[in-house]
Amino acid sequence: MALILAARMASAQTPAAPASQSDPDQDLNLVQPDFSLVGLPTTLRLPRHKGSFRVTHRFTRPLGQGSFGSLAGDLFALDSGAQIGLEYRYGLLRGTQVGFNRTNDRTIQFFAEHEVKGQSASFPVTITAIGSAEGTNNFRDSYSPGIGALVSRTITDRLALYVEPIWINNTNLLPSEVVDHNDTTILGLGARLRIRPTVYISVEGSPRVAGYAPGVAQIGVGIEKRAGGHLFQMNFSNGLGTMPGAIARGGGSNSDWFLGFNIARKFW
Amino acid sequence: MNMERLGIHALGVLLVLGTVGCDEKLSSITGPTPNLAPTFASIQQNIFNVSDSSGRLACIQCHTDQGRTPTGNLVLLEGRSYQNIVGRPSTGKPGETIVIPGDPDNSYIVKKLEGASDIAGVRMPRGNGPFLTPGQMVVIRRWIEQGAQNN
Repeated sequence: MALILAARMASAQTPAAPASQSDPDQDLNLVQPDFSLVGLPTTLRLPRHKGSFRVTHRFTRPLGQGSFGSLAGDLFALDSGAQIGLEYRYGLLRGTQVGFNRTNDRTIQFFAEHEVKGQSASFPVTITAIGSAEGTNNFRDSYSPGIGALVSRTITDRLALYVEPIWINNTNLLPSEVVDHNDTTILGLGARLRIRPTVYISVEGSPRVAGYAPGVAQIGVGIEKRAGGHLFQMNFSNGLGTMPGAIARGGGSNSDWFLGFNIARKFW
Repeated sequence: MNMERLGIHALGVLLVLGTVGCDEKLSSITGPTPNLAPTFASIQQNIFNVSDSSGRLACIQCHTDQGRTPTGNLVLLEGRSYQNIVGRPSTGKPGETIVIPGDPDNSYIVKKLEGASDIAGVRMPRGNGPFLTPGQMVVIRRWIEQGAQNN
C-alpha cells in the first residue's frame, strides 16, 4: 500500500521525461524501464553524464517462519531486520556506465557496463559486457570480482528477455587450498513483461552452471509500477543477494522466501 | 583513437586486471598456526609436534612412547604417526577408524578433535581446551578429503 501511495505521489509530482532530441538514450524505454530486474542487471543504456539511484531492501525474516499470526504481528516481516543497499550509477560515456552499490552488511560493489552491440533490424539481441568487483568490510577484505555478458531481446514494447552468463571469482570465502571450487559461473535468466501501460512483472533466476554452488539458485519475482522517473518494485525472492557475487552464492533454501522492494530514480 | 574509445579500453583492462588472483590467504583461517597447510607434513609440524600461541597442547605431549606409555596406545611422533593413524582402527572405540582417506566426517580423529557426541573418552587435546579452531579443523578435514596422502 505504501509503495502504491508513493508511486501515485511520485507520478503526480514528476512528469514523464520528455524525449530528448540530442540523446536517444534519454528517451523512455517502455520495455526496459530500469537498470535491474529484481537483482540481475538489464541492458538499459544510461545517458552520458546522467545518473540513476536505486534502493534495494530485503526483509530478513523468511515469510514462512512462525505462524501466520506471528508473521502478521510482525507486519509481514516489516518489523524485522533488513538488508538494505544503496546504488548509484553514472553514464560515463555513450553506452558505458559505471556505478557502486553498498549493502548494510558492509559489502561494496563497483561495476561497469558497456554495450557492445545493440538490438536492431539486422541484429537480434543487445549484448552488454559487465565487470564487477565486490569487497566485504567496506571493500577492505574479501574481494569477489566478476565478468560477464548481458544479452537481451526485446519483443515489441511488452516483453524483454535476458540471458546473463557471469563468472565470479572468489565466491567461496575460504582459501582455495581447502575448497574444490573458488569461483562460480551463473547463467542469469530473466524476463520483464509490461502488463499495463506502467505496470510490469519481473522474474529472474540464477542457476549456477559451474563452480561453487552452496544452497539453492536464487530466484525472484517482482511487480513494478513506473511513475515518471521512478520505478517502484515489490518483490519476493529466496535469497537476499543484489550483487553478482551474492547472487552466485544463492539462497538458503526454496522454502524460505523474503519480502523486499526496490525503488529506483533516474536523474534526467 | 578518440578519448571515448581510449576510456573504454582502459576500463576493460582494469576489469580484466581486477578479476585476476583474488583469493583468501590460508593464514586468514588458521589463526594460531599461520603456516598450517593441508599436507601431512604440515599437520605433523604445526599440530602434532608443537603447541601454538593459543596455548593448545602439542599432541605428542601425551601421544609418545618416550619415557611414558602413549595415551590410547597411539604414538604421533614424526616418522611413525602416518602409519599409526591412516586406515588404522581406533583402540579407544572399536569399529572406528582414525583416518579414513576421503571421508573426514567419519574419521575418528576429526570426531575426537571436534568433540562429537559419540566419542569414547574426552575431546582432544585433553583438558578444557584450547581446542583446535574451526579454521585449523578445515585444513585437517581438507587433507583427509584429498585422500590423506603422506605428503
